[in-house]
Amino acid sequence: MGLITATKAFCKLLFNRELSASFDQLIADEPTPKITSQQTPAAAEQPTKPTAPARSDALSLIAALQREARLLDIVTESLDGYSDAQIGAAAKEVLRDTGAVIERMFGLEPITDAADGAELETPADFDAAQFRLTGSVSGEAPFRGKVAHHGWKATKCEIPKWTGEKSSALIIAPIELEIKS
Amino acid sequence: MTQFIIGIDLGTTNNVLAYCETNDVSETNGAVNIQLLKIPQLVAANTLEEKPALPSFSYLAADAEAAGGALDLPWAENRNFAIGQYARSKGADTPDRTVGASKSWLCHNKVDRRAPILPWNSGDDVAKISPVTAAQQYLEHLVAAWHAAFADAPIHDQYVVLTVPASFDPVARELTREAAIAAGLPANFVLLEEPQAALYAWLNQQGDQWRKTLQVGQSVLVCDVGGGTTDLTLIAVDQNDGELELRRVAVGDHLLVGGDNMDLSTAYFVSGKLAEAGTTLDPWQSVALWHSCRAAKETLLTDDGPETHAITVLGRGSKLIGSTVSVEVNKQEVADLLLDGFFPQCELTDRPVRQSASGFQEIGLPYESDPGITRHIAAFVGAHCSGEDDSVAMPNYVLFNGGVFKANGLKQRMLKVMSAWSGDQQVSELSGGSGLDYSVATGACFYGFNQQSGGMRIRGGVGSSYYVGIETTGLAIPGAPRPLKAICVVPFGMEEGTETAVPSGEFALVVGQPAQFRFFSSNTRKEDQPGTMLDRWTEQELVETDPLVATLTLEDSDENFVPVKFRSKITELGVFELWCVAGDTEDAHRWKLEFNVRES
Repeated sequence: MGLITATKAFCKLLFNRELSASFDQLIADEPTPKITSQQTPAAAEQPTKPTAPARSDALSLIAALQREARLLDIVTESLDGYSDAQIGAAAKEVLRDTGAVIERMFGLEPITDAADGAELETPADFDAAQFRLTGSVSGEAPFRGKVAHHGWKATKCEIPKWTGEKSSALIIAPIELEIKS
Repeated sequence: MTQFIIGIDLGTTNNVLAYCETNDVSETNGAVNIQLLKIPQLVAANTLEEKPALPSFSYLAADAEAAGGALDLPWAENRNFAIGQYARSKGADTPDRTVGASKSWLCHNKVDRRAPILPWNSGDDVAKISPVTAAQQYLEHLVAAWHAAFADAPIHDQYVVLTVPASFDPVARELTREAAIAAGLPANFVLLEEPQAALYAWLNQQGDQWRKTLQVGQSVLVCDVGGGTTDLTLIAVDQNDGELELRRVAVGDHLLVGGDNMDLSTAYFVSGKLAEAGTTLDPWQSVALWHSCRAAKETLLTDDGPETHAITVLGRGSKLIGSTVSVEVNKQEVADLLLDGFFPQCELTDRPVRQSASGFQEIGLPYESDPGITRHIAAFVGAHCSGEDDSVAMPNYVLFNGGVFKANGLKQRMLKVMSAWSGDQQVSELSGGSGLDYSVATGACFYGFNQQSGGMRIRGGVGSSYYVGIETTGLAIPGAPRPLKAICVVPFGMEEGTETAVPSGEFALVVGQPAQFRFFSSNTRKEDQPGTMLDRWTEQELVETDPLVATLTLEDSDENFVPVKFRSKITELGVFELWCVAGDTEDAHRWKLEFNVRES
């Protein structure tokens, strides 16, 4: 998969307009209006199986990060009154597990192999999605400059598929109830 | 049409499916291009994810939990159980409803393996399943995942290789086969031993280079330490018409000790440290601790690893930072615990410590009383590399398999101990392969590819010799059982696709009644030939498994007794069959004996 395709596919899946729309509908708790104009060819080929997702992939991603790495717990907790060592000990675990989830689902890679500080020249066929130009920008591509950040790209986008009912679509992590025998 | 070759690792803790196309053209270094199937599975209620491994756990949900399709799969509605990642995580907080390690129960002949007994010791309100059913469910899941990915290539048309531990007895193999056929695998699928599969994965990775690494007269120990079991196999490098050949010369006993034991030991040690600091963990945290201990093992037990490692367990509730506890463990502590506990320095003459069984023993799985894996290896190598004429050379190489060996220090310790046995001749690791977690499945696939394309194969035949118990005739002594003899029906190394008549006198069997024979196997008696009669043997020498039964029916006969002889067969697919034959002619009556796996 080319760089551009990968990046686009990633953004499309994560921030797909249709998905965002249905998410908004869920929050508003109103009936979803028909989005006939955005039917993709793939969906049209399978008329028997309506593929409208029950909830946004963004929620499923957040749910996975909480389930496997406790990310929501740590970002919502007040840090007041804890020592840096205490925070560090907890954060180390959460960061490690968060990294594992992101790696598994997105297969992160730097866009360029060039090290920070190295000289890099853009292609003449300049793609503004791949480069963020800073400093004294003028003239036409190719542009030459020093790499300040190598950028990131996803090599895949494999978000868990949620199969639940619409009524529970906003549940990110269920209540945990321990029943004593 | 057979389009794919499929290798399935039906593991004690994980299931993996690898595949390649039958017409795969060798790439640059001659290796076959083998892929892993991504297996959709529940990772939480209502949440599906694709992963290359399917954990061998089954969660038997309460009705309320399964209602509303929370456990449904793309191919199954109204499910009341879950298999895979979600089931494994439930094993921690809801053990009474979670089936794990069902594979170890398959070869446990103290229980009826077709009876719903798992989860072991759980209450009556749980709809339990049998060890055979559990295996069937994992395989059904793999089959459904295959069909979801390759709808045009039904699995019953493909060439399938399924792996079993080398130490599995004929009954456990038969039960695995039964589960596999019920799950929809083609009737002609092939059973392959796991350590051999691991070696095939290495061979595929090496391409033709292996002939430069291994030399005639050398031998390789395959040491496969899984989550709960350890499986040993010895492979010799032979020569035939100037061509190098690999021959499997011995397989070890079924050892119930593995990586999980090591992580549990570390967790137990660390929770002791935490308790000193006034912290007790709940079950959920204990599992988190277990995972942290695995990571600590891998970090600390490497040559240039740090001297200390902090093990942290996050707080259970939503207040995460405040209730997080952390404890430092140092390299020496973990090394003492794991290296000396599980891979102790020992002599070739050392043997595992066998605890004398107490009068009252729980029926549960027969875990090893001696967790010292190196001592078990000493017993295995000592038995087969004795230095006598027909024995094999001391291993020159070790092929490690299993996730445990991600901790490099464990490998180093084992190589050091084994090198000392060989008079400081260096024992080296056969490195490479396709990753410790997936090599059994990929190796099984490569084996299938070779079978189809006429590529190289490891020779070896049956890894044990088999015996049938015969009660001797003679004057009965009141109160004393008749003396039992054992007649060898399958010699060690009997090749697949062959059969043999067992020379003996005739046995008289009663018509119309079930005839039952005690059945034994041995992985040390390599000299016995069909018909060899043993008067006495030690408990370690011959291991008894389930009895064989046949009911003789004979139409148009007034006789009450039929004189029969035995005829044994190892099919092309590696299945053992034993027949009673009446008469010598071509049209002689034959009855097949079947294993009786009822509770003995």
